[in-house]
Order: sequence, then C-alpha cells, then structure tokens
Amino acid sequence: MSLNYLVKRLAWSAAVLVGVTVFSYVVIVLSPGDPAVKWAGNPRGPGAAKAIEEARKELGLDLPLHLQVLNFLKMVFTGNLGYSIAYRQPVFAVLVRNLTATLELLFAAYLIGVPLGSLLGVAASLQRGRSVDGFLQTLGLALASAPSFWLGMAIFGALFSAGFPAYGRVSTGLALMTGFQAITGFYLLDSLLQLNIPLFIDALARLLPPALAVAAYPTGLCLRLSRALVADALLEEYVRAAVAWGVKRRIVVWKYAFRAALPGLVQVAGTAFAYSLIDAMVVEYVFGREGLGRLLFDAIAFSDFKLATGLLVLVAAFYLVVNTLADIAQAVIDPRVKL
Amino acid sequence: MNASRARFNSAVGFLDLARRAWKRSARLRVGAFLVGVVVFMAVLGPHVAPHPSDGWGVVPRNAAERAGKPPCPEFPFGTDNLGRDVLSRVLVGARLALVQITLVVSVSLALGLLVGVCAAYYKGPVEALLNYVAEVFLALPALVVALALRLALGQGLHIVVASLILSWWPWYARSSYIYARAVVEMEYVLLARLAGVPARTVLFRHVLANVAPPVLVQAITDLGSVLLEASAINFLGIGLPPDAPDWGVIVQNGFRYIVSMPWVSMFPGAFILITALGFSLVGDSLREELDPKMRRRWKLWF
Repeated sequence: MSLNYLVKRLAWSAAVLVGVTVFSYVVIVLSPGDPAVKWAGNPRGPGAAKAIEEARKELGLDLPLHLQVLNFLKMVFTGNLGYSIAYRQPVFAVLVRNLTATLELLFAAYLIGVPLGSLLGVAASLQRGRSVDGFLQTLGLALASAPSFWLGMAIFGALFSAGFPAYGRVSTGLALMTGFQAITGFYLLDSLLQLNIPLFIDALARLLPPALAVAAYPTGLCLRLSRALVADALLEEYVRAAVAWGVKRRIVVWKYAFRAALPGLVQVAGTAFAYSLIDAMVVEYVFGREGLGRLLFDAIAFSDFKLATGLLVLVAAFYLVVNTLADIAQAVIDPRVKL
Repeated sequence: MNASRARFNSAVGFLDLARRAWKRSARLRVGAFLVGVVVFMAVLGPHVAPHPSDGWGVVPRNAAERAGKPPCPEFPFGTDNLGRDVLSRVLVGARLALVQITLVVSVSLALGLLVGVCAAYYKGPVEALLNYVAEVFLALPALVVALALRLALGQGLHIVVASLILSWWPWYARSSYIYARAVVEMEYVLLARLAGVPARTVLFRHVLANVAPPVLVQAITDLGSVLLEASAINFLGIGLPPDAPDWGVIVQNGFRYIVSMPWVSMFPGAFILITALGFSLVGDSLREELDPKMRRRWKLWF
C-alpha cells in the first residue's frame, strides 16, 4: 500500500461526505413542509407571520440556497450541526453521547457474528455437496433474511417469560448503588475500569440478547461468503500441492484456503458493519436501550429536523469511515489492490 | 458450448435459464414455492380473509370480547389487543408488501442500469460525475432518509418507497457499471459505432442487453432485502400509518404485547422472513446457473 493510495482514498471519502451533507440539507429545506414554521412552534394568530419570519432569519433560511448550503457545509466540517429542539443541546453532543451506546452493541454483534459465520462457512465448504452443506447454506440464508426487530422481539419475549427482563443498558438501581460513572460511554469498558464487577455482569447480560438479534445478519452473510470463497480456494493448485506434501489438514484449511478468502471477507464484512448500524438502531428500540435508535423517535415527536439532518450526516459519515478503513485494510492484506 | 443454450438477453433466454435451474436446483424449487405462496396470498388475500374489515385495520364492534385471543380454530393466528383477526391482517398485508418491493426494485433497477451503462459508455467527466453521485447515495441509509422525508412530508407509502429507491438505485448503478465497462470494450460495440448506429441504439441494444442479466438476477435477491428494510421503516412508524395493512406495522401493533400475546407480532414477522428467504433462494440459485464458475460440480477429493 502506498501513500498515494491512502491520500486518494481519503480525498474521495471527503468529497463524498460533502455530497451527503448537501443532500441531507437540501432534502429538508426543499421539501414542502417549512422548517421555519416548525422551528417557530407552528404559531397561529396575528403574530404568526412575524414569528415565522424571525425563525427564518434565525435558521438562515432567508439567504439564497447556495449560501445556505455553504454555511451548512462550513458548520458540518467544524463539528457544529446546529441546536436540537428535542434535547435543547447542540446536536453534535447528543449524537456523540448516543453513538457510543450503539457502537457497543454493534461491536458485540460483530464479535459474535463474524467468527461464528466464518467457522460455519468453513465447515460447510469442507462438507460441500453433502446434506450438511445444504443445511448450513439454507441456515445462512434464513439468518440473513430474518427481520432483526422481529428476532429481537422474540428474544426479548422469551427472556422476559423466563424471568429476565433484558431492558435498557444497565439496571438503574445497581448503577446508583455501586456509584457507577460513565467515562467512555462503553459501559462494559467503564465498569471494568472502575472494577465494578456486578455492574459489568449486568451490562453484559443486557448486551448479549440484542447483540444476538443484530448478529443474525453478519452470521448468515459470513457463512455464505466464506463457504463460497473457501470452497473455491480448496480447488486451487496450491492447496492440492500442500495436501500432496503432507501438510496437516488444519494448516491447509486455515493457513492456505481460509487465508485466500480473507480479503473478500474483510471487504464484505466491513460494508455490512457500516450498514448494520441501522439494524442496531432498530434493535435498540426493541430492547429500550439508549442510543441512536431513540433519537429517531425524539426527532419525530419534536419535529426536530436539525437532529434528523445531523443523524443523516452522522450515519453516512460512519459508513464512509468504516468503508475507508475496510478498503485500507484490504490494501494491506492484498497488495494487488489499487484505487 | 451447447448451441441450443440461448443467451439470457431476452425473455426466451430467461425462461431457458430458469428451466435449467429448475431441473438442477432444489433450492430454486423451494424458493419458488415460498414466493408462490406469497403471490397467491397477495392475489386472493382480501377475498379469502375470514374477517376482511379486520384485515384493513378496522376495529370490530365486539372488540372487548374478541381481544387478545390466542390461536384457536376460529382465529388461527389469534387476535390482537383490539380484537382484530391477525390472519386476516396478514393475508391483506401480502399485497402491500409486494407492491412496495416491486415498486422500489423496478424503479431503482431502471435508474441504476441507465446510470451505470451511461457512465461506462460516455467516459470522461460524465463517468466521474455519475460515479460520484452514485457513491453519495450509496452512503445514505434508507431508514434515516425516511426519517428526513417523514419530517418533511408526513406519513405514507411514498415515504417508504422514495427513501428505499434513493438508497437502492446506486447498487444497480455500481454493478451495471462494472459489467458495462467490460462490455463497451467488446468488438461488437465498436463495430456498431463504426457502422454509424446512433448512440442511443448502441446503448440499449448492445450494451444494456448484455449488462442486464446478472443485474436482473441480483434484483430478484434484492426483493427480499428491500422487504426487510421496508418492514423496519414501517415497524418504527416512520413510513405507513399505524393501522395500515402492512406486516411491519402489524409487528409494531403487537410490540407492547410481546409477552402477553406474542402471536400478534410473531406471525407477520414470520411471513416477512419467509418472503425474504424465498426471494433469496430463487435469486441465489439463478445466479449460480448464470455464472459458469459456480455451476461446476464439486470434486470431493479433499
């Protein structure tokens, strides 16, 4: 990987982020509902026109469109996304505070899903053509086709009936009793830093059920992908040669065949990771966890279009960052990659 | 090559492909059965539903005595908290599910193919611009776009369909661009241009016709993925209004009652799963048939 590649890749991502920002501003400003009316609180009566006019000035909507867009771009690239009506705080602060919660769920899901899926996929490719293979492939498809909110509800309902309400991120009572403080926002990490073992167990027990619901998709995806890639690699000459040389089966499978599947797996899992942020948001809502998912509802309830725009920019930026990292990782693993 | 094996760039070619795959792949048969069931439900659903008005979301007059019944012979899928028959709601909902996904996939397919082929054919600035636009929309998630549209335009089918189209067409643009880049270098394209065939004809008859097959097969798989996203949007109440006959909305109706009456949410969700699975099975086995590399018989020597 050359420095040239890195610079080109980063410049491209920044350019795409500009496009995303412009879109997310324009889609709200150009649509029929007037943001100024909502910002003024849907006023009626004699003073309404004046209030709306003032709101328009406050939001900068009286400027020509290209200036508005430029202003918004300037704001976004300095980390200022405006002021949220729902939270009465800067949007950026609200987003960052909730992003860590969602990321914790997403990381947990992928730490479960990707290894499990790859393992099952390799197992299927070793049994290719047999009934185990067919079963595992169908299982992979079914896991990737299950709606995550539905899976989450099933898990939640089952656990609740069994006597464990996996609601929220931690038990509030336990957090108060043990004097828990959020430092990084990743509760598992925070509780370990404070050597708060009971809270760590509680947070983990509440994290795993939603993580399983989010993990269904990456598991299915990695299962199918690694099945296809490893099965292909097993037919290569170098694998045949390794077998002929008497290399141990375990080493042939993992060091020769699976290694060849790794770049493709990283690329696809990276893209899927970025898109699963949405899945995580939906599942968070099902389990009543704090996080970006809750912001969707607050944005609707308060007609908070600043929050919606900020959310759009944040999720798109997350997608861009993850994809850039996945591309760079792939360039490191696979030296043939060029932009 | 077998001469009778027609290329899949016409309806006949597609039928031929499907017939071959049908003989070879049991997964295609299972998938086609599942999709067939859903299409059947969509066509006949509102006519055979035992309680049609429940199906459309109307609360029955004897709601109090019918509310929250578990599955029984009279209500095979049980009733929800307002006494509506869940089976009727699921049956009526099939139609809306198919309407949403066909609308989204067909529009984004047309748009994406056009953009991808144009980008590969007219090189230079057009190519760069179209690729850039596609990349921007690729980064926009449907759910959050739907939220923005919901704030601007209110609830309704148009929110779901518009937001999904905005985030799905770049996938087709990207994959058709990749295929088209190889096709425009073919000699028959060059010869057609040298013979003075107008660019429009070259684009549609020579390039598009040879790019479309793999993208079309991808679109069949995507019908299932679009249903998953659309259901998520409807489940969160961003798309369709609260009593619309849509599977995602019905799952939402049972959300508060997941412990006391799980059947309200579990049955419609299972139908989402079945539909998505059916389309994936069909799309997957057609793709295997289309791609000669994947069609080979596995040699079990390892």
